[in-house]
Amino acid sequence: MRKLTTVLSVATAALALSSSAVATPPQELIDEGRAIYHDKTRGNCISCHNIDDPVANLPGNQGPMMIAMKQRFPDKRLLRAQVWDATVANPLSIMPPVGKHWILSEDEIDAVVEYIYQY
Amino acid sequence: MKMIALTLAASLMVPVAFAQEDTFEQVFNQQRALYGKGHAFTYAGQPYTTDHPEEIEAMAEPTRANAEALITSAEAMRQESESLGYEWRDPARFLKQARTALSENEYQRAMDLAARAKYQARMSIAQYESVNASWQQAVPE
Amino acid sequence: MQKTKHSLLSVGFAVLSHAAVAAESGFTLETVDPDADRLALQAFYQQRFPGVPLEEYVNGIYAIDPDSRKQWDALMEFPPYEFDLEEGEELFNTPFANGQGYADCFENGGIGIRQKYPYWNREEGSVKTLEQEINECRVKNGEEPLPWKKGDLAKVSAYMAFTSRGKVFEIEIPADDSRALQAYLDGKEFFYSKRGQLNLSCANCHLKGSRIHVRADLPGPALGHPTHFPVVRSKWGEIGTLHRRYEGCYRDTRSVPLPPQADEFRKLEYFQTYMSNGLVVNGPGARK
Repeated sequence: MRKLTTVLSVATAALALSSSAVATPPQELIDEGRAIYHDKTRGNCISCHNIDDPVANLPGNQGPMMIAMKQRFPDKRLLRAQVWDATVANPLSIMPPVGKHWILSEDEIDAVVEYIYQY
Repeated sequence: MKMIALTLAASLMVPVAFAQEDTFEQVFNQQRALYGKGHAFTYAGQPYTTDHPEEIEAMAEPTRANAEALITSAEAMRQESESLGYEWRDPARFLKQARTALSENEYQRAMDLAARAKYQARMSIAQYESVNASWQQAVPE
Repeated sequence: MQKTKHSLLSVGFAVLSHAAVAAESGFTLETVDPDADRLALQAFYQQRFPGVPLEEYVNGIYAIDPDSRKQWDALMEFPPYEFDLEEGEELFNTPFANGQGYADCFENGGIGIRQKYPYWNREEGSVKTLEQEINECRVKNGEEPLPWKKGDLAKVSAYMAFTSRGKVFEIEIPADDSRALQAYLDGKEFFYSKRGQLNLSCANCHLKGSRIHVRADLPGPALGHPTHFPVVRSKWGEIGTLHRRYEGCYRDTRSVPLPPQADEFRKLEYFQTYMSNGLVVNGPGARK
């Protein structure tokens, strides 16, 4: 597993590099993602995923904590894909298919991904 | 279009050829999940974008006739979902808003709302079908 | 694309490897075995929460979460359903305008019978719940039916549960009427099927998700779910029926709501209560 992950990391790191020419995300996008992440009527991600942010209130733990995201997802797009539809990796996952079921818009998903990718 | 898709795919090192077992639906969803909407890709040699069919319908000229047609087809999809007992909360809400927008001659707004309603209704029907084939996996032995 | 798929699977989550062993049969009328389902569900929880005696599951989340249990024990020194119970008894014993009463509609005068509900009604070809029969009793005697979710119906049901405390649930699925087994199977399928825009099944929260935080809430185990209803729920601030809770749960998946006592909910109750066979009636209860 470790070996596989390493190989994949190398492959995906190259992918990440190729898109690294893109400027760092603007702060307002991260702030928007943060608002969506913690808002009960929008993403409400905090209900299942803890995150080391002082605004986190009553975090749940149905899903993993948002930590070491760059190590876990060297390719940010794969993180985006996991948010978009977690049932691809696990059909029984409790995580709602945020993109596939249009729970958040594509722009909102981009914002959330930028926010959690800071952790 | 095809050219752009190929160049883009090459620059991102995503293989252009998809495994044979992947259906169009799977490839579409993978691409939309990775890139969001408006992204070009090819499937079986044909160029496509990651826009939902409903979103493409809403790109038609914003006229009363087009808005009415989209609302009508979205309502039909919602009713099918209802008949399966799998209707979601929002399609009826979006359709109500779409009809209001139509009555105010806000055709683009009406079409965008109807498109979202229709997409969600279609997904609820897809959910019904996939759950029929997968709920068994959740039962402990 | 294969590569993308692989890395999603491996780098993403190791959830798959944690999946409980899933049953391979029991999904058709020919293969479904309710008692095997019941034992498998018990085994799931006993493996998940080792050392918790089976009979404790009537206490829901308080059976498996010691911190919540402490607060609950304090709350139960003055059970919040006491007044509802008194009113329920009074309502139960107050004759209708025609002189008849609830006692005339039920076996054993309605005392100590909660453990037999819900049951398969052969004549009507459907699952009957206690609340349904309370209202049918009223209508038969010229009274208006009561609202399903709260108030007097919940109070009468609470009193009838109270008179049955300690009795063991003994839900039956008549072998000579395959429609009953089909109703059970439908309830089972409902429990395990994902629904609504949020793509949630009952099992998502109450099986694997049991005693794991959703914000400040800890979902309780499905085993023993129906034994303690009706309940005074702190969030409601009053007493409510099982179907009120079903309706709320279902709505939370972002589905178009189903009404209390809908066919689907009665079959779900049939399945869930069968799963709790062997446990005792301990309603009414108090829950967060």
